[in-house]
Amino acid sequence: MEGFTLFDTVVLIGYISLIAWIGSRFGKDQHNPEDYFLGGRKIPGWAIGLSVMATQASAITFIGAPGWGFEGGLERLVTFINVPLAMIVLILVLVPIFHRAGIYSIYELLERRFGPATRTLSALLFLVARGLATGVVLYAPALVLAVVTGWSVNLTIIIMAVLAISYTVMGGISAVIWTDVVQMFVLWLGALLSIFFLVTSLPGGWGDVFSFGAASGMFNAIDLSFDPSVTYSLWAGLFGGFFLHVAYFGTDQSQIQRVLSSPSVLDAQRSLLIGGYLLIPQMLLFLFIGVILATYYQQHGLTPPEDLNELLPRYVVSAFPSGMAGLVIAGVFAAAMSSLDSALNSLSAVTVRDFYSRYIKPNASDAHYLKASRVATVFWGLYATLFAFFAGNLGPVIEAVNQIGSWFYGALLGTFLLAIFSHRSNARGAMAGLITGMLSVWAVSALLDISWLYNNTVGVAVSMSVGYLVSLTAPAPSHDQLSDVMMSEAAPDMQAVLAARADNAQAIGKEARLTRRRCIGLFAWFCIMLGMLALLQGWANG
Amino acid sequence: MVKRLALTRRIDEDAAKRRLQRLGANACEPAWVGLWAAALGMPGGATGAWLLCTKEMRRALLLVGAELPFNAQEPRTGVHIDSGLPPTPEALKRLWLWERMATPRHWRIQVQDSVPTPLWLPCWLGYAPGRQHRLLVISGLSGEPLPMLKSMVLKGLLQAHQKQQLSEVSE
Repeated sequence: MEGFTLFDTVVLIGYISLIAWIGSRFGKDQHNPEDYFLGGRKIPGWAIGLSVMATQASAITFIGAPGWGFEGGLERLVTFINVPLAMIVLILVLVPIFHRAGIYSIYELLERRFGPATRTLSALLFLVARGLATGVVLYAPALVLAVVTGWSVNLTIIIMAVLAISYTVMGGISAVIWTDVVQMFVLWLGALLSIFFLVTSLPGGWGDVFSFGAASGMFNAIDLSFDPSVTYSLWAGLFGGFFLHVAYFGTDQSQIQRVLSSPSVLDAQRSLLIGGYLLIPQMLLFLFIGVILATYYQQHGLTPPEDLNELLPRYVVSAFPSGMAGLVIAGVFAAAMSSLDSALNSLSAVTVRDFYSRYIKPNASDAHYLKASRVATVFWGLYATLFAFFAGNLGPVIEAVNQIGSWFYGALLGTFLLAIFSHRSNARGAMAGLITGMLSVWAVSALLDISWLYNNTVGVAVSMSVGYLVSLTAPAPSHDQLSDVMMSEAAPDMQAVLAARADNAQAIGKEARLTRRRCIGLFAWFCIMLGMLALLQGWANG
Repeated sequence: MVKRLALTRRIDEDAAKRRLQRLGANACEPAWVGLWAAALGMPGGATGAWLLCTKEMRRALLLVGAELPFNAQEPRTGVHIDSGLPPTPEALKRLWLWERMATPRHWRIQVQDSVPTPLWLPCWLGYAPGRQHRLLVISGLSGEPLPMLKSMVLKGLLQAHQKQQLSEVSE
């Protein structure tokens, strides 16, 4: 047990300074403006995808998932097993419509379809939900800092908030995709080294892990119970978690922002594909670390910390060689900063675009809006800080983020699906659906004993059905209101024009649709992952 | 009236066919879309990119490069889509403001003070069969799909079709 040594501190400061230097050198002080634009295009798609993953979840995954694994083994993997299926829906349905509509904030689509009130309410829901979830993201690195320094968590939350807000107001470092990629690899390296040190410290090595895991039911990832109160049954994962992830990746501006900024639909698809393929293995890796930590604690007769989020940071600090612990903790820090930067940016962008520039100061100068966006960043930073003080009471941070989203995003997704699929629905129905969808989620959570994974499903089902039925009491939307969600070429006269042009155009030959292939690949990946979990469970149960 | 210059087509027919085939099209043809370009650059610095749009477009296209890759010759082959109106300089600036908000790393780049340049953007149109015919638009410069141009292209194709029918009737 070396603890966090002076050398670790030097590595921590050195790494963060290096990342900041790379960010400022390559992200801001370019003298050739072409580099600003070409920066993203010269970088391979896999690096962009990893950068998306780094922004999304790396720090809270590193801290939260081992706690999950320690407590329940691999059972909570079902929460993520649906991600490839959710990505298929995003690729096929949401991304093409968002891209074609040419929108900056996805809530603009709801305004064009249902009017300003729906846009305002949905943007407000996003701000409230993402602001709360940002509090959890802020709590995660603060916890690491508290573990490393021995200071109180509340003090480290304030320090982290000041750092994150100043860093975002100054422009952040997310400009450099390669720094995100480096952070991703540092975190994965940290995870793999943790596994190596943990397993080599066990007398029986892997044998001990597998026999302890099998004996304590930690490899039972697939629970086929139809009881809706079983939180992590396969059905909760498939029918609940699926809507959770479609809603999380499709209706949260901070997640879909990069997709909207992608130069083309195919680029946007590619970044979703990387998430679709890598999120399950990444969760499996970190949950497995939780299982190994449980074996380690059991064999060494140790008492786990009260807050299971502290498990892995504590282990890294105590067991890693001097310098290596500093590097991994620095990786968690930098990754958390990247997530915070991107969340605070999207919160301030939605505040300025969907509220300030519409209702308070519509025709101000660029400089004024820049100032307003900085004030908004500070405001959302403070809001997140307040919530971060309570985040420790919410259990594993990764579950906390998803639970907060599930209070709001199901109804929001239902409203988007209503906008896209029901051409009869209108503003009155959308508002009624959105509000009753949310209320029903809260009512179901409070009154019924069902898995929280179903929250989004309830939100989607209620908001769509109520939205549709209430829509019947008001006139149908105009053709203009439907223009963003209908195939613009569907009109009969347009079909005749296209048929005539296609007949006279050059023939291409046999079709080989890329989008279809990509979706089939994701579905096959889902089947492979589910099959592997079933095999592991079958082996563990003899 | 300022002459509308044509950008050089970099994606040839074979490359366009390959790209459109991956997107599900079974027929293709060249097209030219009329747009206006505004120069982008650092304050007081050289031009580094161009914002391409019309008054009707909700988001502009970004073309990277100090110089617009003009072709000396007039575009001949392919349908000409010229249904958009020129954007005002103020509208262009505001459009760029929202792009910068959405991508903070672009913050320091500004729209330069100059009159937007009218140009022809080379594109390839793909026709995908199915229950209904679908139109695909890809850039003739980079080959990237450009779904945001679809409504303008459809409007232009309809106008071209109606014009052709009128001329047939008058003959």
